[in-house]
Parts: sequence; C-alpha cells; structure tokens
Amino acid sequence: MEFINPDVVDLSRFQFALTALYHFMFVPLTLGLTFMLAAMETVYVVTGRQIYKDMTQFWGKLFGINFAIGVATGITMEFEFGTNWSMYSHFFGDMFGTPLAIEGLMAFFMESTFVGLMFFGWDRLSKQAHLAVTYLVALGSNLSALWILIANAGMNMPEGAHFDPETMRMQFESFVDLVFNPDAQAKFVHTSVAGYVSAAMFVMGISAFYLLRGQHRQFAARSFRMAALFGIISTVAVITLGDVLGRLDYEKQPTKIAAIEGLWHTSNPPFEPWIVAALPDDARQENHYEIGVPLVLTPLITHTFDQPITGMHELEDEAGPRIRSGIDAVAALRRYGVTHSSTDLAQFTAHEQDMGYGLLATRHAPGQDVTAIPADQIDDVVKATQPDILPNVFVTFWSFRLMVFLSLWFFALFAISAYLSLKRRLERSRLLLKLCMWSIPLPILATEFGWITAEAGRQPWTVFGWLPTFLSASSHGVSYMVFSLVGFVLLYSVFIAAELYLMFKFARLGPDHDSMEPHTPAAPRVSAFDMRPMAS
Amino acid sequence: MTKLLRLAGLAVVLVVSLLFAVFVGDQGPWYFAWVIGTVMIILISGAGAIMLDAQSSLSADGDI
Ligand code: HEM
Repeated sequence: MEFINPDVVDLSRFQFALTALYHFMFVPLTLGLTFMLAAMETVYVVTGRQIYKDMTQFWGKLFGINFAIGVATGITMEFEFGTNWSMYSHFFGDMFGTPLAIEGLMAFFMESTFVGLMFFGWDRLSKQAHLAVTYLVALGSNLSALWILIANAGMNMPEGAHFDPETMRMQFESFVDLVFNPDAQAKFVHTSVAGYVSAAMFVMGISAFYLLRGQHRQFAARSFRMAALFGIISTVAVITLGDVLGRLDYEKQPTKIAAIEGLWHTSNPPFEPWIVAALPDDARQENHYEIGVPLVLTPLITHTFDQPITGMHELEDEAGPRIRSGIDAVAALRRYGVTHSSTDLAQFTAHEQDMGYGLLATRHAPGQDVTAIPADQIDDVVKATQPDILPNVFVTFWSFRLMVFLSLWFFALFAISAYLSLKRRLERSRLLLKLCMWSIPLPILATEFGWITAEAGRQPWTVFGWLPTFLSASSHGVSYMVFSLVGFVLLYSVFIAAELYLMFKFARLGPDHDSMEPHTPAAPRVSAFDMRPMAS
Repeated sequence: MTKLLRLAGLAVVLVVSLLFAVFVGDQGPWYFAWVIGTVMIILISGAGAIMLDAQSSLSADGDI
C-alpha cells in the first residue's frame, strides 16, 4: 500500500488555495460589471442619450482588461483536479465532471463569443441587438459561475449521488437534485451578488476619484448614482443570502457552523452570546478574550429562540461511534473487493453512511490501514481521530467575521452614498468620496474571506462526510509540487501586476469622449417620465 | 404581418416566462429570486440615472 505523504497533501492544498484566491481576484468584477454595463446600456437604449453609451463603453473597457487577464486564471484550476487531486477526481468525478463540462461550454461558447460581439459590434449591430448581446455576456458569465458553484455545493452537501461499492466512487443519480441542491442555489446567489457588490464599489470608487478632481463630472455623477443604487440593493441581497448559507450549514455541516461561531460547547438558548471577537485556540480547544452580545446567536443561526447549536466538543463525542462504524464499513468494503460476497456487501451497507469517518481514521491506523488495527487499539484510534473532524477554528472564525464586518461597512457606505447622490450633495462630501475610492478593493477581499470560510470550514473533507482531504490528493513528489507552486505564484503575480497597471492607467485617463463634458444644454433633455427612445 | 409575428413572439416569451416562474419558483426559489432581483437592481439603478437627468434639467445650480 502506498503511504500518504502529508507534505504533498499540504502543498496540493496550498497550491489550490492560492490559484483559487488569485482567480477570484478577477471573477467578482466579471460577474458584476457585466450586469452594470447592461444597466447602463439599457438606459442608453431607452433614453437615447450619448452619455450612457460612453459610460457603457468606458466601463466596458475596464471590464475587458479584467476579462482578458482574468479568464485564463481559472483554467489551471480545472487541470489541477486531474493533476493534483486525482483520488478526489476518481471518487467524485462522476458528480463533479458534469457541471464542470457545462461550465466550460458556457464560458467558452456563450460568454467568450458574445464578449467579442459586445466589444466589436457597436457599429455593426442595431442598438437593441447590441443590448441583447450585452445581456447575453452578463448571463453567460454568471451562468458559468453557476455551474462551478453547483459543483462546489456538491462537495459541501452531496445531493443526487450515492456511493457504489463496485466502482468505489460516488455515482451520479439525479441531475435535478444536483442543480436544485439548496446549497447550490444559495451559494450561486450569494457569490453572484457578491460580484455585483464588487463591481458597484469599483464603479463608485473610480467615479468618486473623478468627482474629487472635478473631472468628467456629469459622467461620474451618473456612474456614481447607478453604482450606489446597484450596490445598496446588492449588499442587502448578499447579507440575506449569507444568512441562508449559515442556516444551511447549521442543518448540514454542523462542524463548519460551530467553527464559524467559535462554539466549543453546545449553546444555551436563547441566552448564548454571538461572539463578536475572540482568539480561538485550536490546540487547547477553547477561546481566549471573548467579547460577545448575549441573546443573538440562537435566533441568528436557527431562526428560533429555543433550538440549541451543537458545540465542537459534543460533535467530537458524537463522531466516536461513527468512526467506529466507519472502520467496520471500510473493512467490509475491503473484504467485498476480494470476495464479492453478499454477506460482506450487507455488512458494508449497514455501515455505509459512516464510511468517510472510517477513512478519516486511516491516518492513525498502523500502516495507514484500518483493517490492521488490533481489537485492543480501536479505542485509541477512535480517540485520536475524533479531533480530526474539526476544521481550523481560528481561520474559519476570523475569515467569516472579516467578511461580515466588511459587509456592514459596504451597507453603510452604499446607503450614505446613494442618499447623498439622490440629494445631489456628493461634491460637498469629500470625505465620503475618499472613503469610496479607498474601499474599491474591499469587496474583492470580502469574497476571498468568503471562500476561505467556505473551504477551510469544510475541512477535513473534500466531499463532506465521505472523502477526507488527505486521501484526495495525487501521489506526486514534493519537488514537483514546489516547482509548480513557484511557477504559479510567479505567473499569477505577473497577471495581477498587469491588471493593476492597466486598470490604473485607463481609469486615470478616464472616458475619452467629449460628449459629456461639459453637460451642454444642447444635449437632449429627458424628463423622468419620458421613456421614448431619442436619437443619440 | 410583422405586427402579428411580433405579438406571437411576445406571447411565446410570456408563456416561457410563466413556465419558468412556475417551475423554478417551485424547485429553486433562490434561483428565481436571483432572476427577479437582478432585473430589479438593473431597473432601479437605471431609474436613478434617469432621475439625475431630470434633476439636472430642472435645476440650474449644477450641483452633483
Ligand atoms: C452578513 C453578511 C454575510 C454573511 C452572513 C455571509 C455568510 C457566508 C457563509 C456562511 C459562507 C460559507 C458558506 C458555505 O458553507 O460554504 C459564505 C461564503 C461566501 N461569502 Fe459570505 N456572507 C456575508 C457577506 C459577504 C460579502 C459582503 C461578500 C462579498 C462581497 C461575501 C462573499 C462570499 C463568498 C464569495 C463566499 C464563498 C462562496 C460560497 O460559499 O457561497 N459574503 N458567506
């Protein structure tokens, strides 16, 4: 039997986390800017005013930079599943492959085709046809994200699949269950709308920069107002869906929600405080310096005042019998692989739901083989495995809090910005404009924290409850992993540097048409209620 | 004739939207909420811009 090298597993995890986090620096803008462009172009088609066409084209140029540099960074991850996570791909490929393939088709055929038409079709298509193309780009980019999130939700909450002892892998059962998995739905909306928030802050921040310098004022005022309204509604939506995700974690991933909340002991409803800040100590399994608000946790997570939330110590206790039963499942499966007898199959089936917990115990078994555990040592192996069911609490707890604190900041900033824009008092509020400018990277940071919460919180599993992460990696050498890791870091850093350079350059240059500066009275006037198209 | 075709086209869009609303609204409430919500966000932000046009044309102070 081949031994698992923990260094290779850690390096594979590190490499995936790094490429995913790099990739996700580009994704939110793509998801959100496309719909913002669609909104601007809709106003252009409805009012016929040139300024909205200029807005669509200018913000479209910045979107184009992000798209051109960012799109390639996702492709490496699709290959990583095969190269670095071959055990995972074997085990879950039947489930994971389907959405991934559809994502590829969406991204390459729908999104990329229409992006070309969107950029080069201004003079070749009618206004309405071009608008339709812009909407198709927005739909295409969000729908390709949908399939990735469906795949990710399958890992967090495997629905529409069952384990097949003949093929030793999860077998795809129901496409409808896969697509309509409640976790997939909530993840998709949360992530897509997080992209809207990121795009809104980007447009609002750069517009604030122009207003501070007194440049492109009419252009900036319109972009700012659209972004502030886009942003405030999106922030409310992202918070709502964050709540839905938390509740789903409470129902289906109790270890994740307990780690998110730093809850070592089962809660005491309704008084249990929501811990605002603390220093969770994973080694000693306790929190230091807790600051909490009483009465908040129970209704926040359970939406009731009397349901308890199981703490991490109790979850470890509950895992004991499952680990024991899982060891039996793995042993029966091993025997069944040789004998194919119905008795072994029946024994496996009786313990099947706990198989993942048996696999989790392999790390502590002699020779990493649970069938080789002597009867008098089973208790020790179970005990040693129990703490393994928990994710890293410090990372999960703080990544979640940073995401949540940032969302409160976005809410305040968008709300005040929208109000002052509606009252036309923006230029007098220079501090607010500066805050908007400096907040541009924050939503992207929040999405990174979101992914850390979701993925670190799912540990120790790649497929929750079924396949431990340390059994999912390929058996590469350490030097191969280090070499490819360094390569990725260098390459992706060049991408980020190029993106930042081009973004700064083109944002500083500003829109290059004269039509909006100054806002001449000769420009066609529209009343708020006159929606008839006008000539541009 | 073109009017008739346009009407037929709109009727098809209407039927598809209704079927979508019934099926997805039932099976995937959050997917449905995303569709409706995104349309709403676009319309409200667009309305905000059109309102700014109206505000600018009504007042002469040029404030932003
Ligand atoms: C009060 C506000 C928020 C709450 C309660 C919340 C809640 C959550 C939870 C519980 C997860 C983990 C889901 C899982 O189990 O996999 C998550 C993930 C995530 N969050 Fe948030 N979130 C909030 C705000 C935000 C904001 C403002 C952003 C970005 C602008 C954001 C972006 C993400 C992303 C990208 C993920 C990973 C994808 C996913 O699992 O959906 N979140 N959020």
